[in-house]
Amino acid sequence: MLYTSYNNKKKNIALIDCNSFYVSCERLFNPKIINKPVVVLSNNDGCVISRSEEAKKLGIKMGEPYFKIKDLVKKNSVHIFSSNYALYGDISRRVMKILKEFSDKMEIYSIDEAFINLSFVENERLEEYGKEIRARILKWTGIPTSVGIANTKTLSKVANHIAKKNKTGVIVLDKNIDDELKKFPISDIWGVGKQISKLYIKNGIDTAYKLKNISNTWVKKNTNVLGAKTVMELRGIPCVALVTQEPKRKSCCVSRSFGKKVENIENLKESVTTHCLSAAEKIRSENQLTKSVTVFIRTSPFDRHRKYYSNSITVDLPIATNNSIELIKASIEGLEAIYKYGYFYQKTGITLSKLSDSAKEEFNLLTPLLETKSKSLMKAIDCTNTKYGRNSISIAQAGVNNSWKMRREHFSHIDTASFDDLPTLKL
Amino acid sequence: MHIDPINDLTVNSFIVYKEQSKNIMKLTIPFYLHKVGAGFPSPATDYIEDDLDLNTHLITNAPATFIIRVQGKSMREAGIYDGDLLIVDKSINPKSFSTVIANVNEELVVKTLIKEKEINYLTSGSENIIDKINLSENPEVIIWGVVTYVIHKLQ
Repeated sequence: MLYTSYNNKKKNIALIDCNSFYVSCERLFNPKIINKPVVVLSNNDGCVISRSEEAKKLGIKMGEPYFKIKDLVKKNSVHIFSSNYALYGDISRRVMKILKEFSDKMEIYSIDEAFINLSFVENERLEEYGKEIRARILKWTGIPTSVGIANTKTLSKVANHIAKKNKTGVIVLDKNIDDELKKFPISDIWGVGKQISKLYIKNGIDTAYKLKNISNTWVKKNTNVLGAKTVMELRGIPCVALVTQEPKRKSCCVSRSFGKKVENIENLKESVTTHCLSAAEKIRSENQLTKSVTVFIRTSPFDRHRKYYSNSITVDLPIATNNSIELIKASIEGLEAIYKYGYFYQKTGITLSKLSDSAKEEFNLLTPLLETKSKSLMKAIDCTNTKYGRNSISIAQAGVNNSWKMRREHFSHIDTASFDDLPTLKL
Repeated sequence: MHIDPINDLTVNSFIVYKEQSKNIMKLTIPFYLHKVGAGFPSPATDYIEDDLDLNTHLITNAPATFIIRVQGKSMREAGIYDGDLLIVDKSINPKSFSTVIANVNEELVVKTLIKEKEINYLTSGSENIIDKINLSENPEVIIWGVVTYVIHKLQ
């Protein structure tokens, strides 16, 4: 049985995706790298996480470790940047704000893409509307985007893929859907992971079109609920709703790899303390409390010349808290319990779990009266840090020198949301 | 009743800075007409004005507005000095004699746009017409944004 698309029950979902987002942000105040190969690296300058079109053409792959492309970079004078999340975050907020004006119903899917509901737009006007969205984001923020419009989220992802290769950058997928699905490789479909796409290919299902027309019984037998939803969505039946409200997080994890390996426990303490400070700040900003802290440390699993060690410990807290000092005390205790001398550590992290709403705070006999006092202290710290920049006030335990800090050799030092690092024009 | 401008200011700024973490461009300054002593019913209560918000005054379209710092002395004639902050709105279209940020020869620069009989030129300062750039003859030159305000510190 062949499925035709359900055109009568239009939902019209648009997926707006920023093109090479991190690269586009770096280009905003640096015209020298427009039309040139540009690559942005992950934290610690580890691997490639954003590439310009020119860099893609050189054969640089997503996720490739930096050391592997160093020759290619030299030969082709590729411009390299360490990731600057303060800048990307601010530009992302601007893009999302503009998008929100086009539709109230919106799901921010990641830092550089969002779904919006365009049900209120007539079908004939969709393409024009998409072009307007694209043009406005480009003019107002300088960020190029692609817009894919269709009547399910999965199909709008397909449309967006096609739009990326299209000159206008906007694709409305309503007629000739099947022609496009026939050309669309199975592994590029949203929600089809590596494992399941292997299974599909083994069974001769190598395009979106073939998956769309597969029998319901086969899907039920061979895949899970997600697989079934994908098939329905390809048929044009909306199964995945827009998540317009972000659910409150249930845990909060902060971890970093070191720029250079660390042996000394004092340095590990500094990094764990720093993690606690930022995790505590995060949950305070969302009015949450935690009941337990997990600390983990490990050496490099790729270092063949040194012994490998990895361990973690969970410390339960007597009362739920978001007080940095309490969290630091608990995690340092945990760290001291799992630290072993003689290893070269590469990564530390902490996870705050069992998060709860601070409005529903429970008191017990142990709740110290001082709690309110330290609450105002935390508030004062947060406010000072937002006013004078991150880490203006810290805890001495976090250290000052931080020999273990992240590697950021190609950092652009621009933050459009901080007076200290505003973009500068030389006249 | 007691109004303490200093204390009220701190309370207010707490709220403000919390908001600030999401949007740097939000800062309100409470505006009081009178300072009133303790224990005395304030005759000024009815006259406390709304907060003055420099942002709403200086920024009309926040997502399209960028603040850029200037280094160098070549735009003095145009009233732009070393260290000044430019408020640049990318969303508005420049008029004749607008001060603009433009991408010229792979560099962002401050220029003045002049419209003469349907032709747009970029110049540096109004007196120096020699280095006019004709925009239709140089399609690679792109207007990046329009400077709406210059923030210049006097002290």
